[in-house]
Amino acid sequence: MSTTTLGTTAKSLVLESLHKRYESRGREPFHAVKGIDLHIEPGELVALLGPSGCGKTTTLRMIAGLETVTSGDIRIGDRSIPDLPPGKRDVGVGFESYALYPPLDVRGNLTYGLRARGVKDADTRVRAIAERLEMTDLLGLRPAGLSSGQKQRVALARALVRNPPVLLLDEPLSHLDAAQRQRVRRELKVLQREFGYTTIVVTHDQLEALSLADRLAVMDAGIIQQFGTADEIFDDPANRFVADFVGEPKINLAEGVVERTGVVRVGRDGALATASRAPAGTAVTVGVRPQDARVAVGEEPSVPGEVVVYEDLLEFGLATVRVEGLDASLVVQTPADVRWRRGDAVRLAAPPQRVYLFEPEGGARLR
Amino acid sequence: MLRERGPEVALARELTPGQKRVTPASVVADLAILAWFVFSLFPLVWMVLLALKNDADQTSTYFRFSPTTANFGTVLSQRGQDLTSVDFGQAMLTSVLNCAGAVLVSLVVGIPAAYAAGRWKFKGSEDLMFQMLSFRFAPELMVIVPLFVIYNTLGVFDTKLGMVWVLQLVTMPLVVWILRSYFQDLSPELEQAALLDGYTRRRAFLTVALPLVRPGIAAAALLAFIFAWNNYLFPLILTDSAATTVTVAVTKYLGGGGQAYYNLTAAAALLGALPPLVLALTIQRYLVRGLSFGAVKA
Ligand SMILES: Nc1ncnc2c1ncn2[C@@H]1O[C@H](COP(=O)(O)OP(=O)(O)OP(=O)(O)O)[C@@H](O)[C@H]1O
Ligand SMILES: [Mg+2]
Repeated sequence: MSTTTLGTTAKSLVLESLHKRYESRGREPFHAVKGIDLHIEPGELVALLGPSGCGKTTTLRMIAGLETVTSGDIRIGDRSIPDLPPGKRDVGVGFESYALYPPLDVRGNLTYGLRARGVKDADTRVRAIAERLEMTDLLGLRPAGLSSGQKQRVALARALVRNPPVLLLDEPLSHLDAAQRQRVRRELKVLQREFGYTTIVVTHDQLEALSLADRLAVMDAGIIQQFGTADEIFDDPANRFVADFVGEPKINLAEGVVERTGVVRVGRDGALATASRAPAGTAVTVGVRPQDARVAVGEEPSVPGEVVVYEDLLEFGLATVRVEGLDASLVVQTPADVRWRRGDAVRLAAPPQRVYLFEPEGGARLR
Repeated sequence: MLRERGPEVALARELTPGQKRVTPASVVADLAILAWFVFSLFPLVWMVLLALKNDADQTSTYFRFSPTTANFGTVLSQRGQDLTSVDFGQAMLTSVLNCAGAVLVSLVVGIPAAYAAGRWKFKGSEDLMFQMLSFRFAPELMVIVPLFVIYNTLGVFDTKLGMVWVLQLVTMPLVVWILRSYFQDLSPELEQAALLDGYTRRRAFLTVALPLVRPGIAAAALLAFIFAWNNYLFPLILTDSAATTVTVAVTKYLGGGGQAYYNLTAAAALLGALPPLVLALTIQRYLVRGLSFGAVKA
């Protein structure tokens, strides 16, 4: 594989207090993006993760130049781009809706963008990218004859073929089946590494984010809630939203009160040791991941409960434990070699640094 | 249109097993439809018959007569002029030029207007669109008197330029409204992808959006042509002889006080209806979609 036709120089992508306020006539103004700061290193792949409507697409569209920037700055390398037209930004975009041009076949769709720039070796490039994404057999087909998964691969190829220093992909794999998704995901990662595109991938899928990204940006309500590696975000969530949004199965959240610094009361007669320094008497929301919960040993603070459901999932088990004085049950992920039974009485505990305390109101982390 | 029959066809067949049953209600319904057809087609049949009658039979109401095609010859040749001073061939040509001119101007101005209105909401855009539509349902009679005065003052009375101009009231709203819905149906991301590829907005419009709405342009253009062709009031008041159109010329055979030639009128009307009829038949498929203003997706 020759890289001479495809090489690019990686550039950093910086967003600085980026705001977007939609003001369409006859509608309430809508503040979709409320001050985003992201410093993405050259060649880094960042996954933008967040619930529907949180402003992910809006952010990408501002970087691409398809939406005006209300305030703030975007820089690629050392070039500030908010005032440049989309075609001058060196940004490749894979659209959520594919945006393939119906009258042209796949080859035509891929060369279309290259022609605008007068690229000479367009055909070679198209062939190379088509081979990498295993779609040479699609080149002669029109978009109407493609499945949505195939369309998605073509859209991805079109974003890649121009070989842009910055690549923005809006849910690039959402329509692929599980097998294809894994393969294209891996290929995307390999290509991205090889050519050093600085990349943002928008996704709903945690697994995809974890497998693809160097760092994750978790977004909610127009704000980046946390930006960091998967480990940082999983082990040290910045707030209740991040803790709740990332992680499968979902984190257990329960109301509690700090008994004394380092110990928090949960339920009628339960208590957990925590690394948080929150003072005694503070009302908190306690978060414990199913993966961190375990059977208590010795005299350590613990939460007594009764197993109401046990699911054996081969690689691990999931026990649902009812706790006196708690509205919601707690879920515990158990190792494969121990089987819990319905009706078992258990005492639960967790490593203190994995017992997170959040403000009940705003959800901010109490460290 | 040849399409593979999908599963829904098979399903429909299963749901209605056997042949359609004949019930008293269905017989009544069929008869009612038949009656409606006879009622609505009768004037047309009558006109065809009338066009085939010679002068002696033209006021008769019976169906037995010896048909003649001489009336068409009379209308198309200059001989008609001996009777009414109408040059029907000239009127046909004028109609074609007027309508083609009007449609052309409407397309040149209306396509960009429809694109802008379909893509962007700007101050007053809805008002502007409604204003356009109101040209369609405001009676032409309301504006014809001031127009007559204006046309005389400007010296465009009885000119083709004047007709092309006034027919914009008919054709422009059609073109803009129909094409706007076509543009709205196009995903803006198609053009945005082109913008990212480095095309200018103008090029993105010309090379991406425009080719995709070609069916819409065809429908709008032909509908506009037909509406312009059928317009009667504007040429009646705003032309005299130089720019007289088919619709006006047809009525001249009624004689205006002198001898009335109903058979020639019918023959001329039939000839005058041919161009729109042919156009309508050739583009039937687009027309249905166009007429629904894109509200129903084909
Ligand atoms: N043109 C617009 N005018 C007004 N509001 C808009 C516009 N585009 C988007 N919004 C609003 O901005 C918010 C963010 O939209 P955006 O498309 O960025 O969400 P998203 O995070 O990409 O969601 P999804 O995961 O569903 O794609 C939404 O509440 C949406 O309704
Ligand atoms: Mg989106």
